[in-house]
Amino acid sequence: MNRRKLLSLLGMSPALLAGAQMEAQQPKAAKSGKVAAAENAQFEALNPKGSPPPVKLIPMAPRLDSVHGKTIYLVDTGFMSGGVLLQQMQIWFNKNYPDVTVVFRKKAGSYMEDDPPLWKEIKEKGNAAIMAIGH
Amino acid sequence: MGIPSVPLVTKAFKDLAILNAGKRGMPLERICFTPHPVWGKTPEELRVYVDGPDPITGKPLMKEVVDGLTVPLSADEKKTGIVSVSVGPPTFTDTAENLQEFYLNNGYTDFLPIVLPTQEKVDAMLKGSSHHPDEVIGKMAAGAYPPWTYTVRQVAASAVMAGCRPEYFPILLAIASTGIASLFSSTNSFAFSMIINGPIRDKLEFNYGIGALGPFAQANATIGRAWTIMSKNLGNGGIPGDTYLGSVGNNLNYNNVVIAENEEASPWDPFHVQRGFKKEENVVSLFRGLGVVPGQVARGSSVNTSPMFDAQLSDLFSTFTGFFGALVIADPLVAVRLKEQGYDTKEKLIDWLYKNTTQTVKDYKGRNYSYLFEYPQALQGVEPFATWYKLPDDAVIPHFPRASSFNVVVTGGQTNAYPQAANMSYGVSVSIDKWM
Repeated sequence: MNRRKLLSLLGMSPALLAGAQMEAQQPKAAKSGKVAAAENAQFEALNPKGSPPPVKLIPMAPRLDSVHGKTIYLVDTGFMSGGVLLQQMQIWFNKNYPDVTVVFRKKAGSYMEDDPPLWKEIKEKGNAAIMAIGH
Repeated sequence: MGIPSVPLVTKAFKDLAILNAGKRGMPLERICFTPHPVWGKTPEELRVYVDGPDPITGKPLMKEVVDGLTVPLSADEKKTGIVSVSVGPPTFTDTAENLQEFYLNNGYTDFLPIVLPTQEKVDAMLKGSSHHPDEVIGKMAAGAYPPWTYTVRQVAASAVMAGCRPEYFPILLAIASTGIASLFSSTNSFAFSMIINGPIRDKLEFNYGIGALGPFAQANATIGRAWTIMSKNLGNGGIPGDTYLGSVGNNLNYNNVVIAENEEASPWDPFHVQRGFKKEENVVSLFRGLGVVPGQVARGSSVNTSPMFDAQLSDLFSTFTGFFGALVIADPLVAVRLKEQGYDTKEKLIDWLYKNTTQTVKDYKGRNYSYLFEYPQALQGVEPFATWYKLPDDAVIPHFPRASSFNVVVTGGQTNAYPQAANMSYGVSVSIDKWM
């Protein structure tokens, strides 16, 4: 499923996703001529869904002109083997972009926890970040 | 952070990553994907991932990563503002057959037939509580997602769908007020449970006798079912690939192990009294974990010897993860026998189980949850994990981090002295009476 169709499942308004249709609009029409009259009686039933919060759009940060000479943080969120994958990525950068400074960090706490000190460090000392998770 | 970043996700979580980015305000986030799984692969195998293509786009992975950091942003990627999210109209109109199909096809059900939440039936359900239908009573999320809110009326719709009677409604409102969903996004396929205490057990004819955990009473069956339907509808849980990732899934999610305590046959204080409520209060207590196992398979359960239930339970618990708690589900025959053995309170049994259910540090460190959740805490100095990670591999430590990891409930029909055990943690106890 492509991204636009996936996001349409969120029920986001067309302002962001022009042309996307929310799937849960109205039931399909009854099968004509195949059910008895009593079975064609109409019922009104409640939509049982709760109320989702509105989404505040966050603009993405401006991109770099290139990665040459920049400092890139590789952040391991703590899932199994995520750090091993990032170490291989570090080797790749060293070979293909030797002028890039690569900093490896394991996020504090379990994968569900926030790590504001690390985000502060990356913002102050880094130019970009790659965050890798696992399974 | 204000600097360019690229999240790297394995392809198994493509939908989750895209949808969660959208829910959090960055629907076009530049996510790159690796093959799946990463776990268990050697560095050499993971190097092949790095040198290979993104399995979603087919383009070289590292080129995508570098492009993700350097290609200028499109106008859509710079958008700001508030995007409304719709879940459709307040009601649907059609034939009963088509509505059944519609609710099923849109993920509103547990894929079993439902009672249609017509206005008439929802109104009848609302009469089961004095609370206003439009009162917003909670927020629920099935994981690390922005939570949804819901009203008394929306809870009533799910209660009708599950087949609940109006007199059950205060229990469902109490559960909904906690915001705890019974479907959780984790890949671990979590299970959930509730303990019902107080006079309401008899008033609503809960079964806490023969087959207490089975399909033998409407209250047990439908209230448990309603929790899952509520979790889908109120908290948007249970969407495979989006808000549900349990790899194998869990059959207990159909009705969530409803345990009405057999307070009358128990030799101990009821569970809610242990939690500070009065005996005459009606209370629901919620648990989360991995599942339930039978006790008659444990070591020490031979029919040829006098049963040693403490040792049996300890044997069962030694196979559990200490990340979740240990819940003893004791038939009254088991509870009475344990009291005869000297455990005249639940607390004494818990103390023995905590001290006698042990493991080596080597085994502890080798457990999945220890690495994922407790090792990071150990690094931050959280006890007992900080101490445990400093001990030699052959040191013997408790299997569970604290005595409060254990809980005991008594239920069943006394046809045989068989306990069961759940690898589940206590969450919260809430009053049912305040929702009447």
